[in-house]
Amino acid sequence: MIYNWKTIVKHGLPLLLVAVVIEIFAGQILQGKQELLVAIPIFLISIPVVNSVAGNIGSVLGARLASGLHVGYVTSNLGDKEMHKNLVVSLLIGFFTYFILAIVIYLVALFGKITEDLALLEFVGIIIITGFLLICVVAVISVLTAFISFRRGLDPDDMVSPVVTTVGDVMGIVFLFIVLGMFGVGI
Amino acid sequence: MYAKEMVKQSLPLIIFCGLGAIVAGSTLSLMTDLFYEIPGLIVVIPAIIAMRGNISTALGSRLGSAYHLGVIDSENLWSDDLKQNILGSLVLSFSVSVIIGILAYITSLFLGVSPDPAQLILIVVVAGIISGLILTLLTIGIIFLVFKRGYDPDNITGPALATFGDMITMACIFGSAILMEVLL
Repeated sequence: MIYNWKTIVKHGLPLLLVAVVIEIFAGQILQGKQELLVAIPIFLISIPVVNSVAGNIGSVLGARLASGLHVGYVTSNLGDKEMHKNLVVSLLIGFFTYFILAIVIYLVALFGKITEDLALLEFVGIIIITGFLLICVVAVISVLTAFISFRRGLDPDDMVSPVVTTVGDVMGIVFLFIVLGMFGVGI
Repeated sequence: MYAKEMVKQSLPLIIFCGLGAIVAGSTLSLMTDLFYEIPGLIVVIPAIIAMRGNISTALGSRLGSAYHLGVIDSENLWSDDLKQNILGSLVLSFSVSVIIGILAYITSLFLGVSPDPAQLILIVVVAGIISGLILTLLTIGIIFLVFKRGYDPDNITGPALATFGDMITMACIFGSAILMEVLL
């Protein structure tokens, strides 16, 4: 037997506690904006989507960089060309994904009769701008986490995914409310 | 060519996970009445989802490594190593759930919202444990099928758990909140 439940708990707990504290912060922002979210529930549907896409893209980018660093075709240097290529493709995938999913969310909301007076174009614009801002931040965090952990002798495979998803969850909610303010929604 | 491969391999999966998140989000949009009746409920949602994702993907990747190490296989799945892994995940789920409930209660008090502490903590613990049990069974089921077909579990468990995990967790939070609303 190589696994022991006590070791699993001991190794898992510290990172989970940090993540949970940050996520409670995200939850308190939602509580503060509860009135707006209940009034326009299409954004309640959107929040898990905005965060899931950014988390996945950040994790894929991090995993690719980690493999590159381990094998040696990526160097932990901010001028690395291979990293730049990966970064640009991640941004493109993100942009396209948000476009498609924004349309699907709008259709779901139409079906549930909760689009309120939001036009399709306005909603897609809000999601794409929020998503694009978020992916830029998440991609940079992913690169930095991968490079810093690699330089310190830690395995980037273990570090990138939890860091990216936790920070992405908070930033996704913050960006959504900033963009909603820009569009004058819910004021 | 290189960029094309990257898009081809990851884009469909990322869109598929996004569709799963739409189901989770739609569940969230059905809970609006509960948010008024149970102050503090909306605070715990991101934390429970993050906890669940974190614990189950870690379980999936540990079982993937155990498979590569030859510690578990499809003939000998229900081994002591598997049991220790399950127990570890459930103990983590329980303790982190209690902590989420307490943290949400205390931070809410500071922000001028006063939830019922027992109700809030029970909602998180019940949702955390039940979603933990369902996702553990799902992980073992996926691993078992993947073994039978001779695929590498590392490529399958992560995305599968990311897609189903959020949906199942949201449904458990919804159910647990309704249950505690009726009971307490």
